[in-house]
Amino acid sequence: MLINILYVAAGVLAGIYVGAVPGLSVTMAASLLISMTYSWEVDAALAVMMGVWVGGVYGGSRAAILLNIPGAPAAVATTFDGYPLAQKGEAGKAIAVSTVVSVFGGMLGLLVMVTAAPFISGIALVFSPRDYLLLLLMGLMLVGSLGGSSMAKGVMMALAGLMLGVVGTDAITGLGRFTLGISDMRTGLSYISVMIGVFGIGEALYQLLHRDRPIIRQNVTKITPPGRVLLGMLPLGIQSALIGVVVGALPGAGGDLAALLAYDTAKRTVKKPKVPFGEGAYEGVVAPESANNAAVGGALIPMLTLGIPGDSVTAIMIGALQIHNIRVGPMIMTSQPDLFPRLAVMLLVANGFLLVFGLTGIRIFSRLVEMPREILMPLIMVISVIGSYSISGNVSDILWTVIFGIIGYLMKYYDYPVGPLILGLILGPSLELHLRRALMSAGSLGGMLGEMVTSPLSLVLLALFALILVSQTGMCRRKAAAR
Amino acid sequence: MNRRKKLTTGILLAVSTVVAAVELYGGLHFYTRPYPAGNISGYVAWGAGGPTDVVSRALSVYGARELGTSIIIQNKTGASGSVATEFVKRQPADGYSLLFNSENPPLYKVMGLSGIDYDDYYPVILAGQQTAVLVTAADAAYTTVEALFAEALENPDSIHLATTGAGGLTSNVAAMMEAVSGVSFNQVPFDGDAAVITALLGGHADVTVINYSSAVDFVKDGSIRILAVFSGQRLESEPDVPAISEIYPDYGRYFPWGTFVGVFVDDDTPGDVKATLSEAFRRGWESQGFQTFLEENHITPLGFTGEEARAYIRKWQQVTTWILYDSGQALYSPANFGLERLGEEETQ
Repeated sequence: MLINILYVAAGVLAGIYVGAVPGLSVTMAASLLISMTYSWEVDAALAVMMGVWVGGVYGGSRAAILLNIPGAPAAVATTFDGYPLAQKGEAGKAIAVSTVVSVFGGMLGLLVMVTAAPFISGIALVFSPRDYLLLLLMGLMLVGSLGGSSMAKGVMMALAGLMLGVVGTDAITGLGRFTLGISDMRTGLSYISVMIGVFGIGEALYQLLHRDRPIIRQNVTKITPPGRVLLGMLPLGIQSALIGVVVGALPGAGGDLAALLAYDTAKRTVKKPKVPFGEGAYEGVVAPESANNAAVGGALIPMLTLGIPGDSVTAIMIGALQIHNIRVGPMIMTSQPDLFPRLAVMLLVANGFLLVFGLTGIRIFSRLVEMPREILMPLIMVISVIGSYSISGNVSDILWTVIFGIIGYLMKYYDYPVGPLILGLILGPSLELHLRRALMSAGSLGGMLGEMVTSPLSLVLLALFALILVSQTGMCRRKAAAR
Repeated sequence: MNRRKKLTTGILLAVSTVVAAVELYGGLHFYTRPYPAGNISGYVAWGAGGPTDVVSRALSVYGARELGTSIIIQNKTGASGSVATEFVKRQPADGYSLLFNSENPPLYKVMGLSGIDYDDYYPVILAGQQTAVLVTAADAAYTTVEALFAEALENPDSIHLATTGAGGLTSNVAAMMEAVSGVSFNQVPFDGDAAVITALLGGHADVTVINYSSAVDFVKDGSIRILAVFSGQRLESEPDVPAISEIYPDYGRYFPWGTFVGVFVDDDTPGDVKATLSEAFRRGWESQGFQTFLEENHITPLGFTGEEARAYIRKWQQVTTWILYDSGQALYSPANFGLERLGEEETQ
């Protein structure tokens, strides 16, 4: 048992770095681990996987805050306020805050998993394609507030992202779309390679071509956030973690959507942030970081109650257990009664180590951004290319990363926000799939809309969506401004 | 400063000399030793943790043990497995790149997905075949396949059938049901076995067809019910569930039929390498550990290699491509690729 604690610790440490490098993902690390589990005890393998998972989800935020490059899609929302904080010299404090709330979110996710797993999995089952559609539409609404200087530019970029998401094999008919007859295009544009391009290469090019801007000195003397400030963030942390755990438990959605929804909700519910969102509000770091770590506990819920994977990492865990002739099914609670408590303890231990590893070395990390640009930026480019290639070992992914790097640079130069482009590309493919599923299932558009107003869950989601939509119209905005 | 610079240059030089020496030694070593002289790359055409992946990884471990090397497994997913199938074909035909794929490639040509399929590969081993079962939620209105088909005939396209996408098991069986029994369903595609079960449990679909191994735990639990087994005979572990051909004998000519997983190597690979591979995988497949794995997961062992495997795949291809063509799902006629209808040779 003691050795397993060490395995969790090693996993967390490795996970933080795997997560921080864009392109290297927790799913990838976990799938590398499966084949190794043959010669291992199954518990040891699960311990490492759990550690890597918790560390990896957190690690994505490091690169997001320091370099404006999300290490994983779930950290995209962290760049919106995390990077502006780093530019004000508060990178150390932002990382410290993100560590504390990640652990908080992770613990709350664990608590919900232990106390309310059957209830949450019940909710997850009720979610039909039309409900996923509504949820994704709500996520897309975030575009309205990401436009920066101009909402039109944000909407335009989001549409571009949605359109790019159409390229590749149509998941329903199996036929290629906009592939120009090129074999490599059939897998479509990997949103991770585009993300690495516009954020990583794009940012590096911008920094190199505009070296007149001063390098920001980081304040590393006072990085521990005062307890009073953290306490003030408690309601937001709880709210975001709850969003995270529920969205994480949905088999068709994960940490990336959870973080975006939590950020959007924070923007609507936090009335008076000290600093406006998007310019370095700590609330903008708290919400996504709490949500994406809470989603870990959420994703374990359907696996441990129904025997259904909650996301790609749990799918791999189920496979790893199956290789050891342990079948994960709906009777897992009775056939493997100790699996649930073991995983819960591993998750607890992993979060404990996350707090330790996350808070150490912040000073050194913050100094990273003080490195001369001529050294740091080429390094970022190299890591971006490696990350992009390692997604699936395709040279074409590198090509996309470079192309979108140049596009990303031009977007920054002409002041077009990159966030909405990625948002559209992340949400687009599943949005389309769920829309088509809902339509096919209902038989017609009218039928689908009819189902939306007759099913209680859909009606609630529809009302929420309508509320978000109306609150973004000019009338409501002006009223809010007048207040 | 100057001394530091010299030191750095010195270290860099030393490191690069060592690296070059190791590379050179490794390279010579690699080319002079008999196959396998190094690690082998295994490409799984489907996602990590899925049914193909789990069987592939288990088999790769036993195969690697017999070969005396390691097989590094990577998942190369996309376009119904055709991305990996094309990718491995593009690698050197030296036996260091293996393809782990399912029953889908024989459909690529008629579906217009890809020109590369198992015709370009040598089957190292076919691990096992899974049996498809027709299932509903336990509280569904239909308790027999007759009742379900009667309803489907009366109100075509009204019953929701959750599928795993075009060319997947469910849509292939749906085409078979349409060809033999004339029934048609409202097909709604989901993201794989786990997702169709979720859809069934959540009441978002009425029926589906999945591998028995994916269904078995939910059947034991009482949350889903099997209406029929798509096989010529009943399953040993489900003696009360009828085989579809007991009720409708016309299905009988298609069986044995089901999903399968196998290991493949480029057909242009030297003959001795092919022989080494199939010999090693054969022994790995026969090992107690792998046979237990197959049994635990309700997979019928196949163990075919070479020509025997080719014959098995060809029959599967003849059955399935014509069913798909007849139901209008295939873009091209199987006849274009020299595939005649099963049984047509005798009748003409």
